[in-house]
Amino acid sequence: MKRNVLKIFLLFISLLIILPGVYGQRRKKEDANTRNWRYEIEGVQTGVQGTYLIKVWTYSNRPDLAIEQAKKNAVHGIIFRGFAGTGRVPGKKPLAQSPNLEEEKSDFFSLFFGEGGKYMKYISLTNDGAVAAQDRMKVGKEYKVGVIVSVNVDGLRKDLEDAGIIKSLGGGF
Amino acid sequence: MMKRLTILLAICISCSLTAFSQAKKPTIMVVPSDLWCNTNGYMMQFDNQGTTVKLPDYKRAVQSSSELMVVVSKINELMTDRGFPLKNLESSLKTLEMDAAETAMSSSKSGSEVSESPIDMLKNIARADIWMQISWTVNNVGPRKSITFVLQGLDAYTDKQIAGASGTGNQLIGAELPVMLEAAVLSHLDNFNSQLQGHFDDLFTNGREISLRIRKWDSFDGDLETEYEGDELGYHIENWVSDNTVEGRFNTSDASENRMIFEQVRIPLYDQNNRAVDARGWVRGLQKYLRERFGVESKISMRGLGQATLTIGEK
Repeated sequence: MKRNVLKIFLLFISLLIILPGVYGQRRKKEDANTRNWRYEIEGVQTGVQGTYLIKVWTYSNRPDLAIEQAKKNAVHGIIFRGFAGTGRVPGKKPLAQSPNLEEEKSDFFSLFFGEGGKYMKYISLTNDGAVAAQDRMKVGKEYKVGVIVSVNVDGLRKDLEDAGIIKSLGGGF
Repeated sequence: MMKRLTILLAICISCSLTAFSQAKKPTIMVVPSDLWCNTNGYMMQFDNQGTTVKLPDYKRAVQSSSELMVVVSKINELMTDRGFPLKNLESSLKTLEMDAAETAMSSSKSGSEVSESPIDMLKNIARADIWMQISWTVNNVGPRKSITFVLQGLDAYTDKQIAGASGTGNQLIGAELPVMLEAAVLSHLDNFNSQLQGHFDDLFTNGREISLRIRKWDSFDGDLETEYEGDELGYHIENWVSDNTVEGRFNTSDASENRMIFEQVRIPLYDQNNRAVDARGWVRGLQKYLRERFGVESKISMRGLGQATLTIGEK
């Protein structure tokens, strides 16, 4: 009896140690996807003043992780990638003026996009993360999930300008 | 000890000059395009020696069109948010009227009036270095409405379009026009600003682009083909321009014995003392060069940051 209790206790402790590691590994994979530009963004509508309303397509083995990663991808995409227009919604250029900004300011961005990073400040999920049936697709072993996100671009741009990461429009004059 | 203090003081002064010297900021003003003014009936007509000339009537447009007010005010608001406040067309027109009234009424204690040449009078117009020209049309398809919006950024001196954004918005039923116009501005302004930023970056890298005109007074004893020190005056001027532009970038668009036109002239943003330079400040160097080297006097006239004319012969 005592041995069984000990076994269960040890199993419980091992799970406590292993699970966050597994979760961390999974997040690492999603983060690598973000760094390798493995996500897609499209404009949904003209957002309210100072925001972009976009749909972010994220790849992951688990749909819940994809929804979480979509927030990071949305900010990453708006800073470094921009997005193409769809129909009558015009696309937007990236906030970064230099194509190598991510490498040039890697110290800043590794913290910014790190665990609990500041990127979360600019994001709101428009429908609390609920994904429409047609926006959740199984592609091979992975899921491709489309999440509609609203990004506070004005706030993001201002903070990057204040941190000296990008130049303001009137900078230098 | 005294010597050290002097050196320290000199370093402090040069540092402060470097720190506070900033390039001259261009002014931007939003105006409705000629097309919009013509379509909406805000034009003035003049009989210019038998030819009818039509010009946009900005004053009547800003006083009569509430839609124009919405668009201009929204653009001004968003540009102020971006740290680049714009000159307001309506206020500029009022200031011009006020200035004209004050000039007409001003007199000194001895009864002398304010000097104003015909050129000064001609130059009393709303001015900006970059014009943001807007235009929109409302498209009706049955009950659905959409807006085609065009935004152009035009350099006042080089006549180049330096930024632009355009497109047609979603078709909506029952939407109010001012709301649709606001949405159009929100949709397009970021892309416009992105191109404007590119233009400013180019300006900081390759210098300010200006145009320079050389003319001569009738009273000048000689012309641009007159030889000084073994070469024509025109070539001496061209050499000076070449030596004083960023990487010698300029085009000689026109050259005759009476006038020369230089375009796409890239001047440095700062002079040797690290002070900000515009077209007038830059062409002063040429004026000085002609006086000191060849004893030729000249007069500078300017238009904003990017256009200068040097008229040779006298002041």
